[in-house]
Amino acid sequence: MKHSYVTALILIGVIAAIAIGSQLLGIRLYDRISTNLLISLVLVVGLQTFMGNSGLLSFAHIGFMGLGAYTSAVLTIPSQMKGMALPDLYGFMKVVEISPLLALFAAGALAAVVAAVISYPLMRLSDAASVITSFALLVVLYTVMNNWSAFTNGPRTLFGLPKTTDMPVAAIVASIVVVVALVFKESRTGKLLRASREDEVAAAALGADIPQLRWRAFILAAFIAGIGGALWGHFITSFAPKAFYLKETFLIITMLVIGGANTVTGAVAGTILITFAYEALRGTEGALNATSFGAGQVVGLTEIVLALAMIAVMIVRPGGLFPNREIGHILTRTRRKKEIVA
Amino acid sequence: MAQAGILAEALIGHSGRPQGRPHHLGKVMSETRLAVNAVSVEFTGLRALDHVSLSLATGEVVGLIGPNGSGKTTLINAITGQVKLASGTITAGSTTLSGLSPREVALAGVSRSFQIVRLFNTMTVFENVEAAALAKGASRTIAAQRTQNLLDELGLAAKADELGENLSYGDKRRVEIARALAAEPLFLLLDEPAAGMNDAETEALLHTLAELPGKRGLGLLIIDHDMGLIMRLCHRLHVLASGRTIAEGDAAHVRSHPAVIEAYLGKGAAHA
Ligand SMILES: Nc1ncnc2c1ncn2[C@@H]1O[C@H](COP(=O)(O)OP(=O)(O)OP(=O)(O)O)[C@@H](O)[C@H]1O
Ligand SMILES: [Mg+2]
Repeated sequence: MKHSYVTALILIGVIAAIAIGSQLLGIRLYDRISTNLLISLVLVVGLQTFMGNSGLLSFAHIGFMGLGAYTSAVLTIPSQMKGMALPDLYGFMKVVEISPLLALFAAGALAAVVAAVISYPLMRLSDAASVITSFALLVVLYTVMNNWSAFTNGPRTLFGLPKTTDMPVAAIVASIVVVVALVFKESRTGKLLRASREDEVAAAALGADIPQLRWRAFILAAFIAGIGGALWGHFITSFAPKAFYLKETFLIITMLVIGGANTVTGAVAGTILITFAYEALRGTEGALNATSFGAGQVVGLTEIVLALAMIAVMIVRPGGLFPNREIGHILTRTRRKKEIVA
Repeated sequence: MAQAGILAEALIGHSGRPQGRPHHLGKVMSETRLAVNAVSVEFTGLRALDHVSLSLATGEVVGLIGPNGSGKTTLINAITGQVKLASGTITAGSTTLSGLSPREVALAGVSRSFQIVRLFNTMTVFENVEAAALAKGASRTIAAQRTQNLLDELGLAAKADELGENLSYGDKRRVEIARALAAEPLFLLLDEPAAGMNDAETEALLHTLAELPGKRGLGLLIIDHDMGLIMRLCHRLHVLASGRTIAEGDAAHVRSHPAVIEAYLGKGAAHA
């Protein structure tokens, strides 16, 4: 128990260091990268609450992020802009304009409600069947976002969101989400869900209601994804449905898997590592294209390298960088061992 | 000769056991009975259990023995809802267990261990045991207390923070037993708990198990191939061969039963 506090302190310390560090550097580019990193952190830690504890791969997470982003957009775009930004919006919604903070919760709540309604029957599935249905769910959510013009402006870009997400806001939300994920992991539901991840038969033989446990985690993950979506929407201020699809899905899964899905520490470590690797690779890609050897453009270098990194991690360290113990647990254990030796 | 020795030991052990009603948490428990009535289980082309009946009361230790493949594990799986019954019924007190899911059977008060250990590998020993108490609805404080007591009792306290996958074979078995006990079951079904343990570990296990019915008021059904352990621990034995009951009763009765000797030693041995 005590080591969870240590873990929370360390992870929040890391988030604070990222926020303060980039503030001190004062370079706009770093500010953008770091804010993006913290928003990714919200999404990846959110994904960890379901994927890490249940052991089930979920592709649908980014779909719930999209729901959150659109919900917050509809609720916060100033009413005088709505005619232009969302021409097909339902009449009664045209006058609605709430504070971005309230909209953040509404975004999480809507994503959670949708997740609760559609996922209940899916939580009985395991292994391949569960992966395929979660993928189908992503496709469904994407299709809905593309076609529900009244709410999303269809495949066209939606603009006009107030820019309310900055570095401190992202850092605060990320810190809260880290604490929520740690609390959930140590809760009754979290513990029993982890037991079912390790051995479904043994967990059921103890009396664990596995579909119910998974369902709760899925709702929590969707809630956090919705909040992450709203946070991102108010950072980027304009987006289209294609921002919530395959590329983003694979990126957050890569982050979580490389860091170690079973731990919140892993989710944080993976997000930081992959964000920096991603930016460095994009920089390299840009530089290569600028020098141009006459062989045309270098495309997809970033994705290929990340995919190879993921394969390498899977072979060398299948559980990721932090496969089963949180950072606080590792540190308190080493200290206790040293005390015993001394 | 060896046979007579074990028999004598079994008899001494038996008479030395307290016969009074089991006490549990200070209150007198009335006797409840787990009853397996004419249960059959079929796998494609194989009758793994054929009209098997067995009864186990709280406070009692029954040994389930039989050659490899005789259906012992299948009987536990049938009781705990892991396999479907072709016919027959199973009840615990007034509750009908047959037809229930493994989860519902667990909540009705039946816990088990597995022949091939099934621990939660990347969770700590503490969490492994705690999960069982939580699954039964214990509050988090109670679950933690109960877990600590069980780890102390089973000599696992020093390993509380180790991951399940890093334990020795004997420790894994002990954690499984602690985990089953954390559910505070009325009936505990152990599938070869001593397999893979050395002599000292088996001896310690014997003492732990022998105390359970009196201390916790539970009924214990135990499968094991270690006849020394079985004879010293059990009040009654139930012998399966090829899915059928071939003998039941106390150790002396079972030991001398021709069908048992034949099943274990092959045809003709009974007459030798
Ligand atoms: N799920 C299953 N599907 C098909 N056959 C099975 C299944 N489980 C068990 N059997 C078969 O049923 C028979 C009884 O098996 P069981 O595991 O109950 O034996 P056992 O008495 O526990 O043996 P052992 O002492 O080796 O553990 C065996 O022939 C086994 O192959
Ligand atoms: Mg068996």
